[in-house]
Amino acid sequence: MAGARAAAGDATARQGAADLAASDPEAADAAGGLDRSLFRYIWRHSKRDQILICGVVLASLPLYFASLDLPRRIVNEAIQGHAFEHGNPTAKFLVLRLQTPDWFGGEWPLFDGFDVDRFELLFGLSSMFLALVLINGAFKYWINVAKGALGERMLRRLRFQLFALILRFSPESVRQSKASELATIIRDEVEPVGGFIGDAYILPAFLGSQAATAMAFILIQNVWLGLMAAGVVGVQIVVIPRLRRELLRLGRKRQLASRRLAGRVGEVVDGIEAVHANGAEPWERAEIGQRLYGLFDLRLRIYRRKFMVKFLNNLLAQMTPFLFYCIGGYFALKGQLSIGQLVAVIAAYRDLPPPLKELIDWDQQRLDVQVKYEQVVQQFLPERLLAVDASGRDEPLAGTLAVEDVWVREAHGPLIEGANLSLPLPVRLGIVSDGSPSASALARVLAHRIVPARGRVTVGGHDLGEWAPPALARRIAYASVEPVLFPGSLRDNIVYGLLRPPDPEAVPSSPEERRRLAEARRTGNPLQSLGGDWIDYRQAGVADAIALDGLILDWLRRIGMGEEVYRFGLLGLVDPARHPDLAGRLIEARAALRARLEADGMAHLVEPFDKTRYNRQATVGENLLFGVPTTPSLIGRALAEHPVVRRVLDRRGLTPALVTMGERIAETMLEIFQGLPMGHPLFEQFSFLSADELPEYEAILARRSATVASAEAHHHSWLTRTRRRWLGLERYSRADAARLIALPLAYIEPRHRLGLLNDDLREAIVAARAALHEALDAAGEGGVDFYEPDSVCLAAPLRDNLLFGRINHSSADAARLVTAAITATIAAMDLTDAVARVGLDHQVGPSGRFLSGGQRASVSLVRALVRQPDLLVLDGALSPMGETRARAVLDLLLDRFGRTASLVVVLPNERVAHLFDSVLEAKGTSFAQPAAGDANATPARQVAPAGDEAHLDR
Amino acid sequence: MTLETEVQSLRQVPMFREIDPPRLKLLAFTSERVHFAPDQKFFDQGDAADAAYLILDGEAAVTIEGPGGATIRLALLGANALVGEMGILADQPRSATVTAVQATTALRIDRRVFLELLTQFPQIAIAVMRELAHRLEMTNQQLAQRRAV
Repeated sequence: MAGARAAAGDATARQGAADLAASDPEAADAAGGLDRSLFRYIWRHSKRDQILICGVVLASLPLYFASLDLPRRIVNEAIQGHAFEHGNPTAKFLVLRLQTPDWFGGEWPLFDGFDVDRFELLFGLSSMFLALVLINGAFKYWINVAKGALGERMLRRLRFQLFALILRFSPESVRQSKASELATIIRDEVEPVGGFIGDAYILPAFLGSQAATAMAFILIQNVWLGLMAAGVVGVQIVVIPRLRRELLRLGRKRQLASRRLAGRVGEVVDGIEAVHANGAEPWERAEIGQRLYGLFDLRLRIYRRKFMVKFLNNLLAQMTPFLFYCIGGYFALKGQLSIGQLVAVIAAYRDLPPPLKELIDWDQQRLDVQVKYEQVVQQFLPERLLAVDASGRDEPLAGTLAVEDVWVREAHGPLIEGANLSLPLPVRLGIVSDGSPSASALARVLAHRIVPARGRVTVGGHDLGEWAPPALARRIAYASVEPVLFPGSLRDNIVYGLLRPPDPEAVPSSPEERRRLAEARRTGNPLQSLGGDWIDYRQAGVADAIALDGLILDWLRRIGMGEEVYRFGLLGLVDPARHPDLAGRLIEARAALRARLEADGMAHLVEPFDKTRYNRQATVGENLLFGVPTTPSLIGRALAEHPVVRRVLDRRGLTPALVTMGERIAETMLEIFQGLPMGHPLFEQFSFLSADELPEYEAILARRSATVASAEAHHHSWLTRTRRRWLGLERYSRADAARLIALPLAYIEPRHRLGLLNDDLREAIVAARAALHEALDAAGEGGVDFYEPDSVCLAAPLRDNLLFGRINHSSADAARLVTAAITATIAAMDLTDAVARVGLDHQVGPSGRFLSGGQRASVSLVRALVRQPDLLVLDGALSPMGETRARAVLDLLLDRFGRTASLVVVLPNERVAHLFDSVLEAKGTSFAQPAAGDANATPARQVAPAGDEAHLDR
Repeated sequence: MTLETEVQSLRQVPMFREIDPPRLKLLAFTSERVHFAPDQKFFDQGDAADAAYLILDGEAAVTIEGPGGATIRLALLGANALVGEMGILADQPRSATVTAVQATTALRIDRRVFLELLTQFPQIAIAVMRELAHRLEMTNQQLAQRRAV
């Protein structure tokens, strides 16, 4: 069976590699790394778009030139009437001539134009001007959008390439880099690079040609004015960038400093435990403060220089119009320049500085971004990467496993010095650690997690490096003492080792999907959709998702996590789309549980939900809503501020009662929790108020006392009371009232025992419940999944759906008894597996923080097991489970492995070593086979005679 | 019954007599009121000591398992009796079994919370010490008497 699976796997891997190369040359490119020069990189990946956009830019230029020329004609021909000089009542409008240089034949008439009078000519030319403005605007719009899209595509490509490169980092590079710094590079530092890419070729082409057009225009009108303008422009282009060089240097320093800041903050956050434990907060604060000062200082220096340059630039730009008016006016007066020409020259010059300025900016940005790009590339040099070679062997790991003269060194010294080993696979090998890291190092060498500095590891005579990396990753599973979990469900984490790209041939079904694919192709991103089924069921040896769930649950139960997953399931939400069977039988199970509780005389342990009755074991808030809120504005205390809720409470006359309850609760809390230090665990556990809210509520109560006192000092007539209400001088302001109402929402009489609820109030709350439902329905916002006896409450956990009520905690042992009844009911209805499957949806949190250490280790182990590896290497992976359970799991694994697949376990001591076929004992940096005669350490089933195949030691 | 009545009951316990009312109220508030059916066990001999119980209403029997499995009743506790407090202070397994004789209501004082209060409020700690010293004194006297006999 293993053979068949291997062959199938083989085919998949080859197909995968072929796909990568054939269907997506861009992706293969990504494997090749980054160009050293930013411009070469941009050109390589976007020349088509760049050329297209440049073409459009060039096409727009004649029209731009025409829009410059028109003002001259409007002034000269229409306003001053030069077109009508010889007493002509009409002039030609829209004469189209092809202007070519004289040596090419001068003008070629295309259209002779209309005859128009002076006003018509003025309006005609003006309208033409407007049309040109619109057309130029349209060109600009298209160019900007195309540029933006180009830039974003390149940014996407660059980010993806960088991420793909991080995945290829060699272990040493990974150790040298800080995660937060790499994340900053991908997120922030390439952002300006991406922004620049759209402009890289187009902006100089566009603005340069525009400036050149304007300059040419001025030169055509008057050579002297043109030369003058050119002179000023020349100064701007030559001097300003020189001044800006220092700016760049500072910018570079700033980038490095801010990257280090990010790295440092990341370090502190990662090590916050140690910071607290050592009381090093003042040092860390001072350290970050110092860095921030450095950043500030750099920024300030940058600003000073930047604005100085700006000042100079502006001065030069403003000088030229002065010269134009002065000298141009002189020419005009002398008749060497027409007024129209002067106006047009000034208009053209007005258009000159913005493109120039942008060009200079572009140049600065270019230098800046190039530096950034180079710094980014520095982090991703080929020597830091593992070779990418998807081809290679994909044979099962069978034959003899040989370790030949393997040396492993680390920065602080050698870990293994010349280890030798030869064992026929499959084998169950125990490596007994002597407390040094060498046993773990050998395990990692066998798992191909580290490549030895010297020597080699072969299987069946082939070096492990000959296997294709994806194939090896499939055939060897490695679980370490620190399981790495990602945010997601238990299931997501367990099938993480089964993820393979889904069939790439999937035909895009929707236009949206087609667009996604086209964009992925254009940017060298993966073509596979995340929505596809990524799970390789064949590798797990199952047919489909349900069978896989069964397999996962089976393993989890065997290694002792079944109970926990089941409990997760009880606390999980049932998505009817994913668990249709379970959702369909929930109501039946609800009735069955009720019947069981009644039959066992435990009915009083659960107070069921009843639309017409107050549930004493539920909070006041729950009793009001009688459902599970799904929007934040209805959850917890927010309820007190929800306008619809407040309106219903007001209308039902409940507000005063709830405010009074809140008052009593606040008073009691202030009385009994006063004197406990901030952040004391008792606050979290018991108080209605958190420690930092105490002063706030104290203030609310103090305000109330003051208002009451002032009210008593005045008359008590109805009129005064109303007036005071109008003035907002009620006992509480509306905000204070909301804060007080928030408190009793969490109140449960039997638990808190403050004696605040009576039957009248309970009835009033039940009555308000119905009104609230109506009001919320009428508001049409939804947000509450109401309790209905005959339907599943989707927002409530499975357990609550079964109970459909609240456990009576005032009865001793109620929770345990009820849980037992639930379990019995579920088992009787044969729903245990279905519940556990819901448990697989349990979220593990960031780095699996919602799980215990043992649970994380179990998930990591099952992740390795469902892959059915040829070789499973456990490097301390069982130790977080605790000794007893670790032993049980080890027995299970020893039973499963050794026939077709191999098992290598790093053992903390030799207590269980005798259970293995073969044992190595770490001794410093070398390994020895345990001395013969030591009964404990003698392998139970000696696979290879010592000295022959199991050749050990150096 | 509300918190106030529980505070009254706590006040009857010698160990808590000297403690300020707000502190007693905190102790009551952080404890749970639980009902036991007749013959329902508070805890078993040998169980981990996780809570002390103040009987508010009803009766509970303290028993130990004698030689040969016979049950020996040591005491019958009524209202305002505190039971299991030595276990949570000494962090030792239960030395006896406590069973409700009739329907009984008790205030369950959680061990962790109780120790938290002891560390937080020296007044409570001193009151407990005083009571323990008092009991030791009594034991010493009894021992002396027995030796004399």
